[in-house]
Amino acid sequence: MTTARQSPAELAARALAFLDGDGQATVTRERSLMLRYARTAPTQATEIDDTSVHLLAVRNGHVGAATTNVVDDDALRATARRATDAAAAAARAAGGPGDHPGLPQPPTGGYPTHDGWDSATAEADPAPGGAALREVFAVAHEAGLEAFGTWTAGGVETALASTAGVVAVDRVSDAYLKVVCRDARGRTGWDCQAAVGAEALDAGAGARRAAAKVWPEEPAELPPGEYPVVLDADAVGALLEMLGWLAFNGLAHAEGRGALDGRLGTSVAAPAIDLRDEPGHARTWPRAFDLEGVPKRALPLIAGGIAEHVCHDTRSAARAGDGAVSTGHALAPGGDPHGVAPTNLVLAPGDAADVDALVAPIERGIYVTRLWYVNVVHPKQTLLTGTTRDGTFLIEDGRISRPLRDVRFTDSVLRLLAHTEALGATARLVSEAEYYGRRFAVGSVCPALRAQGFRVTG
Amino acid sequence: MRAMLDLLRLTVDRAAGRCAYAEARHVHHRAESLAVHDELVDAVDAEESEGLGIRVLVGGAWGFAATRDVSAAGAEAALVRALAVAEAQPAAGARPLAPVTPQTGHWDGPCDLDPFALSLEERLEHLFAAVAGMGGDARIARAQASATMTRTRKALATSDGTAVTQAFTTCGAGIEATAVGDGELQTRTYPCSHGGTVAGAGWEHVLGLDLARHAPRVAAEAIELLTAPECPDGLRTIVLHGEQLALQLHESVAHALELDRMLLGEASYAGTSWVTPEDLAGGALRYGSDRLNVSADATLAGGLGSFGWDDEGVAAARTMLVADGVLRAALSDRQSAAAIGLERSGGCSRADGFARQPIVRMTNVSVEPGDAGSLEDLIADTDDGLYLESNRSWSIDDRRWQFQFATEVAREIRGGQLGKLYRNPSYAGITPRFWGSLDAVCGPEAWALHGLTNCGKGEPGQIMAVSHGTAPARFRDVQVGVA
Repeated sequence: MTTARQSPAELAARALAFLDGDGQATVTRERSLMLRYARTAPTQATEIDDTSVHLLAVRNGHVGAATTNVVDDDALRATARRATDAAAAAARAAGGPGDHPGLPQPPTGGYPTHDGWDSATAEADPAPGGAALREVFAVAHEAGLEAFGTWTAGGVETALASTAGVVAVDRVSDAYLKVVCRDARGRTGWDCQAAVGAEALDAGAGARRAAAKVWPEEPAELPPGEYPVVLDADAVGALLEMLGWLAFNGLAHAEGRGALDGRLGTSVAAPAIDLRDEPGHARTWPRAFDLEGVPKRALPLIAGGIAEHVCHDTRSAARAGDGAVSTGHALAPGGDPHGVAPTNLVLAPGDAADVDALVAPIERGIYVTRLWYVNVVHPKQTLLTGTTRDGTFLIEDGRISRPLRDVRFTDSVLRLLAHTEALGATARLVSEAEYYGRRFAVGSVCPALRAQGFRVTG
Repeated sequence: MRAMLDLLRLTVDRAAGRCAYAEARHVHHRAESLAVHDELVDAVDAEESEGLGIRVLVGGAWGFAATRDVSAAGAEAALVRALAVAEAQPAAGARPLAPVTPQTGHWDGPCDLDPFALSLEERLEHLFAAVAGMGGDARIARAQASATMTRTRKALATSDGTAVTQAFTTCGAGIEATAVGDGELQTRTYPCSHGGTVAGAGWEHVLGLDLARHAPRVAAEAIELLTAPECPDGLRTIVLHGEQLALQLHESVAHALELDRMLLGEASYAGTSWVTPEDLAGGALRYGSDRLNVSADATLAGGLGSFGWDDEGVAAARTMLVADGVLRAALSDRQSAAAIGLERSGGCSRADGFARQPIVRMTNVSVEPGDAGSLEDLIADTDDGLYLESNRSWSIDDRRWQFQFATEVAREIRGGQLGKLYRNPSYAGITPRFWGSLDAVCGPEAWALHGLTNCGKGEPGQIMAVSHGTAPARFRDVQVGVA
């Protein structure tokens, strides 16, 4: 049997044939390159070429899954047997039917198309990355600073085939550049750019923006308290990513564990807040379908400050009942045990021309460019803690006046959104591009915003 | 593994003359994860992967390429790609590596009861028995149990002449009850939060946890927390359970003592450190009270950070990082060690699977046992304080200087006795001040390894498993209730 150079779709079809009974084959092929640098010199460079085959077996509502990256017939047969044995064992151990409602049917209207694939970026050629690093280094040298960061480009092809008749292929490329500039005293400034294609990354401009956030003045210190805040887009994105899990996870919501439990249809944010999961948005990393083969579509989550929907895969929808259906948010074939989350959040922009306009009404407050180590303190309250990093500034008399020593915050995302006064007119794709495990580019499209009462706790 | 080692040797031999250093690694990884909740199976997932990672050093720049093609042609293609990646980057100047004595041999981690030889039903039934013990009250919104098991086989050849093979088995499990009511949500776990505890061991480790015995208590405490009073604020004496101390140690000592962070190599992502390389040379940095003794030990039986050799072929070792409260050493790999003139690497170079290159990672970093006896002895010796158990939330800044932790539960300590339960406890501090307030560590009878499997670092991201040995410990004048 041919194994080399098979397309993901061909491989998915071949793998599915080894499954006995209901199931799904999911193939992901990653080609990526990541170049890291520190102290204005390259440090690590990782090139990956890998393909994995995930086989899902469904038996009497129970699922079993097995994954391999060895794709000859013997390995696929063994993997299929593992998945089937796992589903059968689950059924026997549970002693009754499981909660999987059955594999989704092929969509009647087909899958949405998108422009999320750039072949050159997916090739992961090291030359553009090397050139980007040279450009960043030149700007840093000129500014008398050291440069640290990451350039990465890659592409992931995903193919699904199921015994229900689903046949689907999606391709998404992604490129990302992060620049941190640092002076001799350890003061840092940050910039990141995220796009579908590497050509959209402007290394020189990114480095200049990062360098501009390194101010020579001694940083001020703020005592714990509540302050007006301007959160730049990267900081907003970090909070929205956490909110995605805490508020819009349909499984947690169905079990009464979600932050919007009993609050759908009510006001949870300021009227200016319109938050959607929008996989087809022009600036996101788009998706055609989720990992059950359910087509992606826009889903309003908060509209005019009113909580509208939570996300579902087929399993969480079945758990929720009451007519709930999958919204195309499966994070794993057969459903992730932790539930679901939006992966293409878009926060609608407002009318503030830029950060300066957001800052203008603030007499004394904080401008935050990046958050770090954000973690959940209380899930139902969307209470988070974390620190600021790589560019925190004091706002005085309507302008950014001087650097501020990094602060710890402990605050509720929904409270911040409820006390949001204004949003920037420009939204951009922000991401930390962390890529643990198989590459899955995810980010939020969002503007900067101004909110009252940002709670500094240290 | 012998044939694979021959291929790796051949690959690094082919790299000769094309780079200053080369290493070739083969990793075969097998994992299973099981999860059940209430009367349902959430997941039975099996995973198997295999591949090669080739790393080269050209003109001071590293190149690394990973492939699932484990043939000779695949290895050669990966080598060519790694060289191309290294050559495409700006020149970086010399990157010396600390010397290493070439190593050969094989190492096996402990495993008495092979988890992959047991039937799935047997393992699932073990979890169902635990879940059954958490049921029966409508306020429990979710009762779940999970288990993981892995087996990893690695082979490594380097252009320095090292050629070694290793095999590791890990197993772990945990239970969790989530109660909801009147707008409140509370979770209790056992033996620790975030999925349970894992060890370098076979299924005997899971059996030893005795999940079913603890299940009723876990559920009852989750329910009790729904109406428990909020933990009071203030400067308090706190006693940390060993699991919480393990995470405290992980975040505010072990990461801070990674030499690549001190050298700013992780400044754009994981962060830097409040400790500098000069602090190492001086031997005068007080990290904590004289009760604080911290080791890094890759030879500990059952540790997730144990091995025969690290991923640069450096033999496993035990090193004192902090002795009597004073900084003594850092966690290093060959490059970072050479950068500050150390004679040898600390043996802390580890990679997550075949598709990631080795970076500085902690081995088993532990607080050495003290002389405060058992947990009961320490409580009895505490007049007024709080006993904090089971991590719920953690966050620390990018210099590992200021932190904030929350735990699932606090219990009042009054007159040497445990008292009422408090919900939503948290505490915060500054790393050297906090460790400076350490005034008692329980003894060897209370000391245990706690396995963490979710330590993230590196770009692209790498998840690493590590164990921390700790015993319950007492700290004075800690800020409680900041959140």
